[in-house]
Amino acid sequence: MDTAAILETGAKLAFVIGINLGFFAPVLAWVERKQSAVMQDRIGANRADIFGFTVIGLFHSLADALKLIFKEDFVPRGADVTMHRLAPMIALIPALMGMAVIPFGGTYEIGGHAVNLVVADLDMGLLFVFAIASVATYGVVIGAWASNNNWSMLGGLRAAAQMFSYEVTMGLTIIGLLMYYQSLSLVEIVAKQESFWNWGIIYQWPAFILFLACAIAENKRVPFDIPEAESEIVAGYFTEYSGMKFIMFWTAEFIEVVTISALCVVLFFGGHHCAFISDAGLVALFGGGDLGNILAMLFGVAVFLVKVCVLIFIQMIIRWTLPRFRYDQVMMLGWKMILPLSLVWILFVGVAILTGLMPTPA
Amino acid sequence: MAITIKKIERGPKLTLWERSFVPEILRGMWITSRHFFHNMKTLTQEFALGGGRSKRSIMTLYYPEERPVTPVAYRGRPVLVRGANGLEKCVACGLCEAACPPHCISIVGAERDNGDRYPTTYTLDGAKCIFCGRCEEVCPKEAIVMSDDWAELCTYDRGEMLYDKERLLRPEASLARRLAFLRNNAFSKARYQ
Ligand code: SF4
Ligand code: SF4
Repeated sequence: MDTAAILETGAKLAFVIGINLGFFAPVLAWVERKQSAVMQDRIGANRADIFGFTVIGLFHSLADALKLIFKEDFVPRGADVTMHRLAPMIALIPALMGMAVIPFGGTYEIGGHAVNLVVADLDMGLLFVFAIASVATYGVVIGAWASNNNWSMLGGLRAAAQMFSYEVTMGLTIIGLLMYYQSLSLVEIVAKQESFWNWGIIYQWPAFILFLACAIAENKRVPFDIPEAESEIVAGYFTEYSGMKFIMFWTAEFIEVVTISALCVVLFFGGHHCAFISDAGLVALFGGGDLGNILAMLFGVAVFLVKVCVLIFIQMIIRWTLPRFRYDQVMMLGWKMILPLSLVWILFVGVAILTGLMPTPA
Repeated sequence: MAITIKKIERGPKLTLWERSFVPEILRGMWITSRHFFHNMKTLTQEFALGGGRSKRSIMTLYYPEERPVTPVAYRGRPVLVRGANGLEKCVACGLCEAACPPHCISIVGAERDNGDRYPTTYTLDGAKCIFCGRCEEVCPKEAIVMSDDWAELCTYDRGEMLYDKERLLRPEASLARRLAFLRNNAFSKARYQ
């Protein structure tokens, strides 16, 4: 690897990590508060201020972070200290790693150097996301077990059962999509969605619904938040966590929301493409050359982020609209409904592709 | 006895379409997002466009900057009425003292030089008061009424809740709304006279 490549990868890494930890995590904490409040005809948190400026309650995230940093880092008696410390990291780091293979832009020629806007362009990018997502399960289960608390243990057991079953189902829901794009590489999948009529959502919308349901279940958010059901088992697997470790679990959840949205955008909504303009057309529109490429790159990233934000908004609406499922209902939904449905969908897509009903994009 | 089997209907029968829950989930999301966008619109009108509070569709008040306007029938802290001449209207008859269910009023009466009776001390224990309004009902002189004081009645010291006469007295003008209400009330003394 030459210096330029290292610099480029470093810049992309910094962008992905920065936008996740610096922008999405605190802003989502704010959005979750404010959006839920406005949806429920309330005002929402709006008192934290700096020199009298409240910025619609945005400083509450800052206040939360400050408060939690200075809180006592409590480890319960009888807990496995090493594991208790390790669990939040095991939950947070995979959540961040999943973003590594998600392309947030196309390939651009800048100074005779092809810049591909993805941190790691893997051939099996999609499998990598799923593999990494399943590592996060360990963080939850280990944290629950190491806390030496019955509620945590119950939460951990529920999380284990739920996350493992939904992983199977989530993998199956997008096999139809993979057959359609004939690739596992996310970069290639995005490249094939240059035309609006090739976007995943057009032919694969049932897969989108199933995938979104599974992804939310995998992320343990309402309506699938039985591992942390606060009305039943205190706070589930992170009952015994305080201070920074608590933030880490919390941040992991928000980053997974972003990851799910980004994945949905990449798989179903054309990534950084804006519907009817091709990448080359966009560069030409911005005047070509280095400047045109840079402008097209910024535009592509902006389009991608806007799409991600819209999907985050939809996830938030789902989260604040639906009540929590019962445990057996969650399991039944996963194994008895979504799994068979996704198998049927795979069969359907296979037949449709073979008979030419569903033309695969070149 | 023959065994009879009774079939119990458990809930309404759902069609397959209903059991998929997708339409209902979408309907719920439509309702919540409708609330969201409607409230966002009114919030923008209120703050960004300067429409003020009248534009707000959210019920919440920004307490303590904004205070709710209590309805006239609201029973807040009982207060003594200070008449136009600057003196209390109370004649120390002791009816309120007797009517008060938790016995929170204690009065010591005396006579002025012109023969008018007045309370030398009038103590109302705010910590005991149950805001029932009996004192107001029995008072023959409209001398004690329930005010609209509801906020910040709590103190750090229980002694401060023992209201003496000076703290109970309020000018008649500030109580006009309540007094008018009492006079027109279906159960007011005026109607029985
Ligand atoms: S409102 Fe009721 S409890 Fe309070 S002082 Fe009057 S009679 Fe007594
Ligand atoms: S009933 Fe009225 S006049 Fe009589 S003591 Fe009480 S406040 Fe005074």
